[in-house]
Amino acid sequence: MSTFFFGFLFPVVFISIFGLIGNSTTVVNIGIPPTSNMQNPIYTALNKISFVKLNKSNQLALEKQLKLGKIDAIVNIIKQDNVSHYTVNVLEGNTNPQNAQIVNSVITQIVDKTNLILTGMSNNPPVNVNIKSTSVRQLRYIDFALPGMIGFSLLSTAIFGTVFGLIFLKKTLVIKRMFATPMHPLIFLTAQGTSRLIVVLIQTILILLIGVFVFKFYLPDGMITFLQLVLLSIFGLIAFLGFGYFMAGLTNDENAANPMINLVTLPQFLLSGTFFPTSSLPNWLEPIANNLPLSYFNIAVRNITTSGEPFSSTLPYLLGMFVWSMVMYVLAARTFKWE
Amino acid sequence: MSKLSTNIIIVNKLTKKFGDFDAVKGISFNVKKGEIFGILGPNGAGKTTTLETIETLQKQTSGEIIIDGVDTLTNSEHVKRIIGVQLQSAGFYPELNLIELLNLFASLYGVDISPMEMLEKVELTDKAKSFPVRLSGGQRQRFSIALTLVNTPKVIFLDEPTTGLDPQARIHLWDMISKINKQGVTVVLTTHYMEEAQKLCNRVAIMESGRIVALDTPDNLIKNLLKSGFKKKIEVKQADLEDVFINLTGRQLREE
Repeated sequence: MSTFFFGFLFPVVFISIFGLIGNSTTVVNIGIPPTSNMQNPIYTALNKISFVKLNKSNQLALEKQLKLGKIDAIVNIIKQDNVSHYTVNVLEGNTNPQNAQIVNSVITQIVDKTNLILTGMSNNPPVNVNIKSTSVRQLRYIDFALPGMIGFSLLSTAIFGTVFGLIFLKKTLVIKRMFATPMHPLIFLTAQGTSRLIVVLIQTILILLIGVFVFKFYLPDGMITFLQLVLLSIFGLIAFLGFGYFMAGLTNDENAANPMINLVTLPQFLLSGTFFPTSSLPNWLEPIANNLPLSYFNIAVRNITTSGEPFSSTLPYLLGMFVWSMVMYVLAARTFKWE
Repeated sequence: MSKLSTNIIIVNKLTKKFGDFDAVKGISFNVKKGEIFGILGPNGAGKTTTLETIETLQKQTSGEIIIDGVDTLTNSEHVKRIIGVQLQSAGFYPELNLIELLNLFASLYGVDISPMEMLEKVELTDKAKSFPVRLSGGQRQRFSIALTLVNTPKVIFLDEPTTGLDPQARIHLWDMISKINKQGVTVVLTTHYMEEAQKLCNRVAIMESGRIVALDTPDNLIKNLLKSGFKKKIEVKQADLEDVFINLTGRQLREE
């Protein structure tokens, strides 16, 4: 049951939410006070930009909105007396520096272009800029979030499923009864791992299918990337299973297992770039966050999806996961109690 | 009784410690091939520990156990192949029905079985597709016994097989155990019930705080007690309450 919730339902709900978030594009709000001139080429150009929303109101109301971050700047265009000269006064807020930056470059561009036209140089300017966009695709939040969701479901299945599954089998003496047969303990653990593997493959494929078909998640190399992601999930599961076995071996009590599981999973869900990038963490925390096993997995997955890098770029992170898992398997082997 | 001459199990100076606690304090006994051997004793006497050590589920602190000529400590895998084990309250995979469970255990032993034949031996063919949780107490114990027979063992170990069963189910299980024993399987069982030991067991060992305090056939144990001058305080009745109960409710097996 917990496998179903953490492995299937949560990731699907999450990617649905993230998919919807990803659809909203940046909008810059600019306030225009009544004192501003509106019969000029600059205003006309501003008005034509799709992602700029002009907000006409009185000066006082606009200043208040600026402080609250509801608008990003106040633009007041003053016509100089008698001649067709203008001064553009921009008052920027600092609640959203990124948007302020956008306002800056938009205004500067319009003004520069208008100046060229007005001085008659627009037909043959000395410097021409030629920008071509190679990618028709823009990165959306889903492209960041979906790899994190694969990691999330992987870690959940490997840990919740294994710990609670094994504790149940230990408590009900199912394992003990099987140990009265010539079965080797490793066979049992391998079987456990194999059944988790099947669940994980279904999860990963399901999340990817929903991502690709419903939310247009981008796979740089199509089917090849898809298969590489499935392969990474297998590596990820093998690494995370070590944590599951380690914790399942420590206790026979679900209530004791719960805080242990949270101690291992929660920090990873929060710090490993599952929901937001590790670069947004404080500097001192970043090196820790970047070296968690789930981080390695997330980085590896994003390398071959978002960044479109070759599969070989994931090798250092696979090695990192391998080291983590070795530590866990050794600890598990030393502490595992069957009863 | 002359047929029961060779010892299939030899237990020699067996001790088992749990930390500071001595659960089993150097016991020695033999189980003869083909007999039903009972280990009696109050809770905490060391019955289950003794049984599980013989079953190789626990390792002894010291002493030696030989089953069918094989040392359990050095060759536990071989021992596991020739014994069948029923635990006091073993669970089963809840998602598997009886046939699937029998097949699972057959694969753990690496043997081919016909699950329906196994179920027939314990009269559970009508429950073939049921899950263990849907069985009554008696049915579950019978199914546990069917599982112990999967690998056609030479010895089966039954840990309190009738605890918690109603009188009908208990009598039914005794018949079943006798039947299996008559087919040549040696049976070692633990019990709290003296009546069970008296009716079912060829020989019994009585344990008390980790030691065997008596070992003989039930008849001899009683004779020896009488010889020592023991007299029951009240006169022995020709029937007891159990007889009344069985007389009123019949021997017919009930399945709730």
